[in-house]
Amino acid sequence: MTPRSPLYFAWRRFADNKAAVVSGLVLLVIMLMAIFAPLITKTGYEDQDFLTQAYAFPSTEFWFGVDDLGRDFFTRIVYGARVSLTIGFAAAAFSVLIGIPLGAIAGFYGGWADWAVMRLIELFSVVPPLLAAMLLGALTNGGFFTIVLIAALFGWVQVCLLVRAQVKAFRDKEFVRAAAALGATPGYIIRRHLIPNSISPIIVGFVLAIPLAMMLEASLSFLGIGVPPPTPSWGQMINVGMNFMYFYWHLAVFPTAALAVTVLATTLFGDGLRDALDPTLKGR
Amino acid sequence: MIRYILGRLASVALTFTCVSVIVFLMMHAVPGGPFDGNDMPVNDVVKAKLNASLGLDQPLYVQYFKYMWAVLHFDFGIPFQSPGETVLQLLARAWPPSLILGGAGVLIGAPLGILLGMAAALRRNTWVDYLASAFATLGLTIPVFVISMALIMVFAVWLNWLPASGWGKPRAWILPVIAYAAIPMATYARYTRSAMLDVLTKPFVTVLRAKGLSERRIIFQHVLRNAALPMVTVFLPMFIGTATGSIFVEAMFRVPGLGAYFVSSIELRDYSLEMALILMITMMFCLAYLISDIVYALLNPRIRVGGGR
Repeated sequence: MTPRSPLYFAWRRFADNKAAVVSGLVLLVIMLMAIFAPLITKTGYEDQDFLTQAYAFPSTEFWFGVDDLGRDFFTRIVYGARVSLTIGFAAAAFSVLIGIPLGAIAGFYGGWADWAVMRLIELFSVVPPLLAAMLLGALTNGGFFTIVLIAALFGWVQVCLLVRAQVKAFRDKEFVRAAAALGATPGYIIRRHLIPNSISPIIVGFVLAIPLAMMLEASLSFLGIGVPPPTPSWGQMINVGMNFMYFYWHLAVFPTAALAVTVLATTLFGDGLRDALDPTLKGR
Repeated sequence: MIRYILGRLASVALTFTCVSVIVFLMMHAVPGGPFDGNDMPVNDVVKAKLNASLGLDQPLYVQYFKYMWAVLHFDFGIPFQSPGETVLQLLARAWPPSLILGGAGVLIGAPLGILLGMAAALRRNTWVDYLASAFATLGLTIPVFVISMALIMVFAVWLNWLPASGWGKPRAWILPVIAYAAIPMATYARYTRSAMLDVLTKPFVTVLRAKGLSERRIIFQHVLRNAALPMVTVFLPMFIGTATGSIFVEAMFRVPGLGAYFVSSIELRDYSLEMALILMITMMFCLAYLISDIVYALLNPRIRVGGGR
């Protein structure tokens, strides 16, 4: 019998976790909808094609109804997935880009480097992300890319801590000391040995940073300092829908449900991935 | 222990100073000033005079040191958006509603979460566990304004049982308190479950069972006490976290609390109020973490720093 790789066991553990598998499938469907949005909707997200039918309730023609400005609401929700997912993934990518080097340096060198990075993290832990994000949003006037940067600014901490712990645990292993004895520079050891060994916490940190970024974006857009209209953002739609809640429930309910389902699916998928890749971290 | 506390206090002072400088600079870097609003344009000469009277024409570092010096004497300045009172008076007026609702939310949510977590841990891998975990995950992943929205839709709009907004009647407090309770409940349910599972698998529990102790005494006297440690440390930070939660809950339920001032002070360039709010929150978080760590060290002899032997 051929020996089974750790990846095989990780896959088995993941497949056993029904919630994670279902969440993964839901996330996949949402991603496909976001990618192929122009193919599944009949109008553009900015087109006020149905002004005479504004506020129409959901029907077979308009699945999610029509919004206050005469736009097909299903179209807006589907394009909203694009905004939410793009920001989530981009912010997570930037978080990883900031978190890996800082975590690796703190974990590998220890001492004052570790102290400095930990103080930096402390700085980020005592300022509520939302307040800082509001201030930064005012400073930069919101906008798509700014939101990504703000979310990454607060998302890297988790990745950094995970990488730091992993690097610290591997720093004194025999193979690392062997590499050092053979003349490998610290940079080479970190790049070729320590970071490849931290790949599973990095993946987990990446996936778990996505829902946080999506929630931050929705919160900021809800407050009116996130992605500016007419770009469809679920947070923004919830904010608008609030005003019509008593009369046209669909304007608030559909974006709320879309945001909740996407964030929930991503989180459960990330939790499942973490449990599968690193069984010792389970339940934290 | 005293050395540890002093060290931590120094670190708190450093963090606090860094935050104050960064926030002050960021705040003033936002274009526009408090008198640049469009709805009531102010003549340039008047604006210059107003800015001078508030000291806004001075170099930034002078303004910073003046403000921080005043803060050290508990003088947080005058809010530009409501010049008839001091920042402290405004806080004294606006904080109680937030504190009552947020406090009630945490005090209701935390015990509920502990019960849920205990139930989940003791009935592991049954429907109780799955239901409790689903509840906890929902509470942590769904933004608080979405929860508020759902509560308003169901209980105020469809069932018409409770008022959707307002502050006067205690009946109106029920929904916002539930919205506030969601995060503490979910956090505690998760913490309690994992902490109890950790302890339940320890060998000493097996020994206790072997010597014939009743399951109830094992759980309440031994397991819960050991599992309570991590639960103590999250309480204070969570309590203070309700301050930022108030931005959303209060906006949704139209409560006249602190939440709206977080947003308006940034929008209106209300420098003193903005600075006071962020400094207060930062300070409270710093102290909350410090106190939690000390309490943790006191309760857990295994990690007591330096002291002991």
